[in-house]
Amino acid sequence: MPLQNRSSRTRQRTVLLVVIMVLIVTIVAVLAAVLLANGMKETSMELLQWKGRGTTKNLQEVILGRCYNYITTVNPELRDKDCQKIWEKMQKAFIYKNPCNITIEDYQPLLDLASHPIPCNKSLFWSKTNDLVHRYTKTNHNFLTLEDTLLGYMADGVSWCGNPSSPGINYESCPKWSECESNPSSVYWKMASKMFAEEACGVVQVMLNGSIEAGAFRSNSIFGSVEILNLDPDKVSTVQIWLMQNIGGPPSHLRNLVVFKFCTSLRLCNPTEALQILQRPNRFV
Amino acid sequence: MMKSFFLSLLVGLLFSKDYVKPTEIDGKKKWKGEGTTSNLESIVIGRCYEYIRIVNPSVGEKNCTEIWEAFKKAFINKDPCNILPSDYELFINLSLHTIPPNKSLFWENNHLLVTSYSDRTRRYMPLCDTLIGSFGDFLNWCGQANDTGFNYDSCPNTEECENNAVESFWKIASITYAKQSSGVIYIMLNGSAIGGAYPVKGFFADYEVPNFQKDRISRIEIWVMDDIGGPDLDSCGRGSVQILEERLKTMGYDITCIDNYKSVLLLKCLDYLNHSDCSIVSSAPSTQRGLVSPARGGSWSRLIYMIFVAFKRSVLANFST
Repeated sequence: MPLQNRSSRTRQRTVLLVVIMVLIVTIVAVLAAVLLANGMKETSMELLQWKGRGTTKNLQEVILGRCYNYITTVNPELRDKDCQKIWEKMQKAFIYKNPCNITIEDYQPLLDLASHPIPCNKSLFWSKTNDLVHRYTKTNHNFLTLEDTLLGYMADGVSWCGNPSSPGINYESCPKWSECESNPSSVYWKMASKMFAEEACGVVQVMLNGSIEAGAFRSNSIFGSVEILNLDPDKVSTVQIWLMQNIGGPPSHLRNLVVFKFCTSLRLCNPTEALQILQRPNRFV
Repeated sequence: MMKSFFLSLLVGLLFSKDYVKPTEIDGKKKWKGEGTTSNLESIVIGRCYEYIRIVNPSVGEKNCTEIWEAFKKAFINKDPCNILPSDYELFINLSLHTIPPNKSLFWENNHLLVTSYSDRTRRYMPLCDTLIGSFGDFLNWCGQANDTGFNYDSCPNTEECENNAVESFWKIASITYAKQSSGVIYIMLNGSAIGGAYPVKGFFADYEVPNFQKDRISRIEIWVMDDIGGPDLDSCGRGSVQILEERLKTMGYDITCIDNYKSVLLLKCLDYLNHSDCSIVSSAPSTQRGLVSPARGGSWSRLIYMIFVAFKRSVLANFST
């Protein structure tokens, strides 16, 4: 009798042990699964935070629509361009990438598809005169700015940037230039500006703002740092400067200084000439 | 006998060739107007989103795909000569939005000038700068019976049949636009247009004026702009402009009329700096000096334009020496 009792008790104990072990394993497994799921959820929800405005909503529809509108009505010579491919190359340049790590090479496939020649004597560059220059070119069809080219037309007034985790695009915020220079927008415009400057030929016009305190011509603006340097001296014959002033803005004695800085950095005038310009009131190169 | 035989044969041949109906090519009717704009869907949906996200976000949230479907429903799979303005009713209801008072700009015979001057709702909001207008501006479209696609080869023009897709669209769009306009109403006419600055039969006369809402309009201002170097065929108080002025006065409106409204003239003169018609603009005293007294009124672009003119002149003078 006692033997039977002992063996049944051992059996009971074994069963109990097994049950407890199974329970522990199950609990551990469940915990692990929950933690893992949470962990994944966190990484997929990880949206980088920036100070600038986020990607424009319905970016794809806007860009595609603008591309088709441009090649159909604005510049029908480009009607054979493939807008769908152009959009795909543009998207590929920034989607799922950290928006502070974008390079001009990322946009090279887009540039290859979307660049086109620009007629001579029509290029109008600008610095710090955005609104005015575009009101001017919209009405006077003798001049073209970067925003009148396909690349510029598609992206004007639109913002975009990617995010490493899903969905790959950040609609909440995008880095400002002050946060990181290699952001998708800034690099795009650098690339497009370079193209625009390289294609310019003949007489080239520049509209500068003579009223801003920092001076109308700044060497670290896109114009100063990219476009000027990429003008091809073999193709460009003359540079005309339009110096514009705000109503009630600062007085015009800054004008000559601006022109001096401009033409010396472009090496358009020799130092003696430039000094003479400074001394002459109300005369411009 | 032979003569009458030949005559009757000739007459028979003449009547057998139906000049009214278009000829058929590959089973598709060949109309006289140009076909549907290529990539219409992408352009239109893109414009819709561009309008609500960038041009005029105050419009609020709209479903552009839904609006596009409603637009198509008006004319797809139907006889392209039997499209009525009311067919666009659903489309209109979905794309309607308010127009701010004092921003409505009506016009005849100066589409491009109006587009430039209004500057995408910045100065004014003409029909082409509304969501409804942006669906059709500079575009063309039509369908065909028993076919769910667009006709990209050709579309009927107004002479072939008035109830075509595009014509009916602009009719209902004009009616709607006029009904929504309030405050001061502006009208830009072309004083050099042949047939008169105010066409007595046209979209403006037939669909817009009759739909002005008297209780919401304070006054009406008419600008009669002549082409630079063009003839002065009509002006305030004369010709067809007088007809319009009388019509509006009879309706009980307070009317002002201005010949060659300066603000618009400045814009036109950007392309004709040295023309005598633009001398009034370039010879103003403030152009001689860059410094301007802040007390002087006037718009930013107007003054900048004057400075630019003086600047450009001195630049050109220096280049030529």
